[in-house]
Amino acid sequence: MDQVVFESVRKIFRHRPALFNWLGRERGGETIALKDVSFSAGRAEVLVLVGPNGSGKTTALKLISTMLLPDAGSVRVGGFDARRDAGRVRRQVGIAVAAERSFFPRLSASENLDFFAALDEVPRNERARRIKEVLRDTGLEEQADTLVMKFSSGMYQRLGIARALVKRPSVLLLDEPTRSLDAATTAHFWATIRRLAQQQTTVLLATHNFAEAAVVADRLLLLHRGELLADRAVGNGESADALRAFYFRMTGEIDEAMGTIYRAGTAP
Amino acid sequence: MNSNTLTSRMNSPLDKLHAILRRDLLTAIRHRSGFVVTLVGVFTELAAFYFLSRAIGPGFRPNGVEYFPFLLVGTGVYTFFVMSAQAFLSAVQEAQQTGTLEVLMTTSTPPAELVILSSISAFAGNLVNLLVYLFAGVAVFRASIHANFFSCVAVLIFSLAIALALGIAAATLQVAFQKGSALLWLLGSGLWFLSGTMFPIQSLPRPLELLARAVPLTYAIDGMRRALLEGQSLMAMAPTLAVLAGFGVVLLPLALAGLSLSLRRARQDGTLSFY
Repeated sequence: MDQVVFESVRKIFRHRPALFNWLGRERGGETIALKDVSFSAGRAEVLVLVGPNGSGKTTALKLISTMLLPDAGSVRVGGFDARRDAGRVRRQVGIAVAAERSFFPRLSASENLDFFAALDEVPRNERARRIKEVLRDTGLEEQADTLVMKFSSGMYQRLGIARALVKRPSVLLLDEPTRSLDAATTAHFWATIRRLAQQQTTVLLATHNFAEAAVVADRLLLLHRGELLADRAVGNGESADALRAFYFRMTGEIDEAMGTIYRAGTAP
Repeated sequence: MNSNTLTSRMNSPLDKLHAILRRDLLTAIRHRSGFVVTLVGVFTELAAFYFLSRAIGPGFRPNGVEYFPFLLVGTGVYTFFVMSAQAFLSAVQEAQQTGTLEVLMTTSTPPAELVILSSISAFAGNLVNLLVYLFAGVAVFRASIHANFFSCVAVLIFSLAIALALGIAAATLQVAFQKGSALLWLLGSGLWFLSGTMFPIQSLPRPLELLARAVPLTYAIDGMRRALLEGQSLMAMAPTLAVLAGFGVVLLPLALAGLSLSLRRARQDGTLSFY
């Protein structure tokens, strides 16, 4: 059975101008973030979502996590509908969001993880062991007792991944997880993703990094202006350059990018 | 369901409450100056009320009690209510600003449970402040009290449901309109004026007095004054306790339904982290 099923999902963000906004230029309107998108992810599969900014990658992840509700269509996780059975969906899903500072600044890394683990109903007698494990996996062992207000961007990002892992979700959602990570941590993280997939975790990862996609992806979903342009397998040993070429060919962005380079006079 | 799972499910809310209390306690302790500032604030406020009552003189005895104890209980209970709602609101605002609100909404804990557990923590902190305030009023400024312990506890317990409803309503307004502070300030001013905090509501013109009688905080303050200053028994307090319970039974489910609706709408509109 598919672990995650997106069926004709539509998500629209409606902008309501402020009540007394006579002076401002803000007007009402709407943005269609996802247009009838359908895909599924099987158990132990790693799906990588790529696409330009605003293409709908984060919206898709937030819909699976129940942070957002769809306007049309359905999102199911482990057979449960994200709208009707949000509680059951949340038990299965772990999400590492792109917002780096989504922690309590005056708690240490391990205190933050312990807090979120308690809310995720991780049994108390298992918590310390799991926290130690995820801190090791994300390279934060030495910062376990440091207040997170002293963390760098990369450390926040690692802690976000640790938080998503501590509940041992069957579906792991990662939004640009290696954006601020150094090379060594990134390589270690990619190995962790593959190991989790071997342990039957379904991973959906949004990224702009084609090297990351080439290393971890079983399948690539290409989103563009809210539409699913491509859903294809990633071949064993397929290079980052090959994926990047595919991306530019499908989105047509290469012409725009080359134009910018020529205008700047930096073309080879 | 095996016995381990059952035990784990039963322990779960307590475990979560422990986690929330620990988070709030550690955060409060690590804000080093916070406690000292609160203490200085308490003594300054009490000193102001003490000298105000001296300036007015011993002839003014609202509801038959001295004015300083009357003020002590009125302002103490009012501050407990409003600060609890404020603590609630601040927690939501801070969670919106840092992005923790979205993440909290994806944990296995249902939003209503999370809100109620968080409120217990907010109330615990403000209850300590209220006790410090009353203790300082009695010990330092010699306010005379004749407390009936059981009546005091009963008034407090019945008032909690109302304070909880007020806190949840403030959180709801913050999630729905992102302007909870302004609305709470407006509401707080109205409550301060109408609930008999500084003067008996009988001093108000008749229409305003009737309005004051529709405010639940009026009964909480009046009940606490009678329990703490006059030592009235549980039996004598029964009508006031019944009114407080009635407000709680009506307001709490309404506030929870409002919060649930506003969270659902925020998830639909994608405005959970707007502030």
